[in-house]
Amino acid sequence: MKRLKDFTVGDTFEYVREVDRYRPIYYAAASGDFNPIHIDPAVGRAAGHLGVILQGMCTYAWLSDACVEYLGDPARLARLRARFTRPVQVGDVIRFEGRCTGIEGETVRLEVSARNQRGEEVLKGAVAEGRAGES
Amino acid sequence: MPIDRRHLGRRYGPFVFAVGLQHVRDFAAATGGGVPGRVFSSPPDRAHPLTWDEGAARAGPHGGLVAPPAFATTFAMEPFAQACSDPDLRVDVLRLVHGEQELEFVEPVRPGDVLTTTGEITRIQERGNLDFLEVSSTTTNQHGRVVVRGVWTAIVRN
Repeated sequence: MKRLKDFTVGDTFEYVREVDRYRPIYYAAASGDFNPIHIDPAVGRAAGHLGVILQGMCTYAWLSDACVEYLGDPARLARLRARFTRPVQVGDVIRFEGRCTGIEGETVRLEVSARNQRGEEVLKGAVAEGRAGES
Repeated sequence: MPIDRRHLGRRYGPFVFAVGLQHVRDFAAATGGGVPGRVFSSPPDRAHPLTWDEGAARAGPHGGLVAPPAFATTFAMEPFAQACSDPDLRVDVLRLVHGEQELEFVEPVRPGDVLTTTGEITRIQERGNLDFLEVSSTTTNQHGRVVVRGVWTAIVRN
């Protein structure tokens, strides 16, 4: 596994996920979030969308996975924050681009952008902290 | 109609949640490009092996599977969900979006853990035609140690 000395300010990482037709339903089954806006296209349209929208927390899970892959261990993710700025819809391809912005002691700071296939930001202000101490 | 600020400090829970092995793996599958479940299911394509592969996880640094950090949504979201659908708050869920999320992961969650989550409304704020409703949650495990703290923010269009 990566050690603290293997992390460098300026490192970049990338993670891409596609929202296939059933993804909101799979995520509902695993997370317990069966809000009809994620299940029923008619409800999604009533709320002003093209159909169902993906659970924000699924996008957040992808953001988390992007950071975990860079950090090397799920237990190293210490903190994660993001604002949801645009709904994610079926057919969207979300690209996460992360960067290590600082290392203080054993804390690794990350900033991540998340854009859809049109280049529109679906998250803003996404930041994470990892703990890279030798456990 | 804006949310009445007298609901600030309203508490939800405790909610008890037993973490199951299949549930953790289902979450890794659903978020990792696979299909959860036991029927027509398929494995994730890019999940971290410590959250999915029991063999690799047993040989790894935690001696067994750990939940993906975002698995916290399954147990820690309940106070927020209850607040958003609390009839006393009179929030129209069709006008509500999940606006912001912060989670602090204090200790990894493992299959077999029994978690208890409580939450309280920590902010009700009107800004223009938007209402911000913030719920803060704390989850402890069966050893009484905090595993996850969360700040969950909904935005409601008035």
